[in-house]
Amino acid sequence: MKRPIEIAAAGTMLTALVAGLAVPPDAVQGDVQRIMYVHVPSAWLAYLAFGVTLIASVAHLRTRDLRWDRRAGASAEIGVVFTGLALATGMLWGKPVWGVWWTWDARLVLTAAMFFVYLAYLALRRATDDPVIRGKRSAVFGIVAALQIPVVHFSVVWWRSLHQPPTILRPGEPQIDPPLLFALLMAVTAFTVLYAALLRRRVELAEAEDALLTTARIEEPVAGSAVVGPLSRGEGA
Amino acid sequence: MPEDPIVAVEGIAVRRPGALILRDVSLQVLPGEAVGLFGANGSGKTTLLRVLATLTRPSSGGGTVLGAPLGTDAVERVRPRIALVAHDPALVANLTLGENLRLLALLAGRRVDDAARALEAVGLSGASGRRAAVCSNGMRRRAEFARVMLAEPDLLLLDEAHVGLDPAAGDLVARIVESVTGRGGGVVLVSHERERVGSLIDRSLTLADGRITEPGR
Amino acid sequence: MTVWRQAAFLLGFQLRDELRTGEVIAVVIPFGSIALLVIPMAVGIETTLLASIGPGMYWAVVLLFGVVVTQRRTATSNPSHRDALVLLGVDPAARFAATAAASALLLLLFEIGVGLVMIVLYDPVVAGWGWLALVLPLVAAGLAMLGTIAGSVTDGGGALAPLLVAPLAIPILLGAAQATEGLRLGTGILRWILVLALVDVVLALAGVLTARVLEESSR
Repeated sequence: MKRPIEIAAAGTMLTALVAGLAVPPDAVQGDVQRIMYVHVPSAWLAYLAFGVTLIASVAHLRTRDLRWDRRAGASAEIGVVFTGLALATGMLWGKPVWGVWWTWDARLVLTAAMFFVYLAYLALRRATDDPVIRGKRSAVFGIVAALQIPVVHFSVVWWRSLHQPPTILRPGEPQIDPPLLFALLMAVTAFTVLYAALLRRRVELAEAEDALLTTARIEEPVAGSAVVGPLSRGEGA
Repeated sequence: MPEDPIVAVEGIAVRRPGALILRDVSLQVLPGEAVGLFGANGSGKTTLLRVLATLTRPSSGGGTVLGAPLGTDAVERVRPRIALVAHDPALVANLTLGENLRLLALLAGRRVDDAARALEAVGLSGASGRRAAVCSNGMRRRAEFARVMLAEPDLLLLDEAHVGLDPAAGDLVARIVESVTGRGGGVVLVSHERERVGSLIDRSLTLADGRITEPGR
Repeated sequence: MTVWRQAAFLLGFQLRDELRTGEVIAVVIPFGSIALLVIPMAVGIETTLLASIGPGMYWAVVLLFGVVVTQRRTATSNPSHRDALVLLGVDPAARFAATAAASALLLLLFEIGVGLVMIVLYDPVVAGWGWLALVLPLVAAGLAMLGTIAGSVTDGGGALAPLLVAPLAIPILLGAAQATEGLRLGTGILRWILVLALVDVVLALAGVLTARVLEESSR
């Protein structure tokens, strides 16, 4: 059963794909530059997802509503996938253009740092069974991480500004022609709609998972009834 | 005018992932009462004690402990009046018994001498320089009672208080229970040993199938 | 009783506890020292190479191995003791402050111990001792608070805490390493001192504000 948002996501992704392949290649980099239509939206989504996780974490602590916690976790999961995609496409782009898989460009380093923060956040969520405890701990870490990330950001930027040679070709910075810009904006839009669709599905899945664990069922036996053994005199069953 | 009950809870349920620990527990403890709580292994006695200690929030149900509604911030006001003696002693392994008690005394706003006196009252003044890690279970238990004496609680919760104590020290439990009930406080005693506990309690409750049954006084 | 007094009492007893186990002195400092010993076995023992990478390696070891100090056994008291503190009405912020302060002092000890080893093995040019006397405590405080928060959030869970700490400790590492390098070159290091100070302020606020939530979540 497809929802409007999922149809929209499919539609916009298809349009973006067509646009990305149809527009002329970049004058300098050639077809390799088309990776940008995946790389840039992925990077944008990484930040968007992280921002949603932060907002949802704060909301969860204020309302103690588990729905916010599920949104935070779902957004982080999607975020880590797209951060990984941003890193991978960045590397695929970098190899033919710069000749190396990795450079210590500030943005790359920051993206990598964010990737590991996400992974840590998800590992933390997996380590806790109880949804209530998980919610609180994840929210706290999410907020601490969000407070630290700006500090990580400008400390890395300052660090690289000391050592960055001025003549490096930086992908994405030079002027971009209108058709390519259109394709890029199409891609960003499509990825955003895709994120929204994925988020919704993932939150539903999380709700179902938590419901399995927490809904009290009247007829359910108490945990202690699993213990079978001789009862002392006077203790009834 | 009847005094407010020390404990008055109703419909307490505690749920953990994949397991229902308590289903529907209701109980009252009146001032000056010592209540025995019995039940099979895994019946949820420890969990219930933790709910009464306001350390575990019930998944549903409510009531008051020392007048503070469960599950609200008001419980913070009454916590210093509650003492819980759990399975594992509340002692830092590497600190001596004396240091442990002194730390708790200082945090409770008491004087350092009070800690020494409490240890003396439980017969541990000779061992106060010994690290908790090398003390026997019985000694650690006694140190817990010293802690209770320091706290002078209005609600005392004992989880298997007699475990590890020699018969002579059984007197200690009786003394402590009486000191609390004598002041108008309430005591809930969890035990497996009905014989040892029988003389200390006013009434007994049984926890089974997540509920309380009261076989009678 | 004020939060400060509670924290002071707890700090004193935590340090006493740690002094008896001696885990930091007897285990973690040797651990960090061994790391510094094996690195040249991996990268080469040329004196100029070692002199140039020495300070950087030192800070990396402080960061990665220092986390162990913050996850020490004595930082995570047993659950019954924690319950007793809760019932006594000990402010969760006081517990955080005490644990973080104890970790910071122990980390400072670790930094000094491992620092001496690095100077012996790598023979770097060390300049600006006065500023370094400021950098070391700032780093120790930041790592300590980050580690304490990570420890509370993972409830003492193995390798997870170091994973939480490492990426967020990047500004601490950068601040320390760049400041050390700047002192050697004679360039300005004020911005890096500010980075370290800012990290400490952010983490202190975060730790105190979230202490209560984290305490609830451990029951």
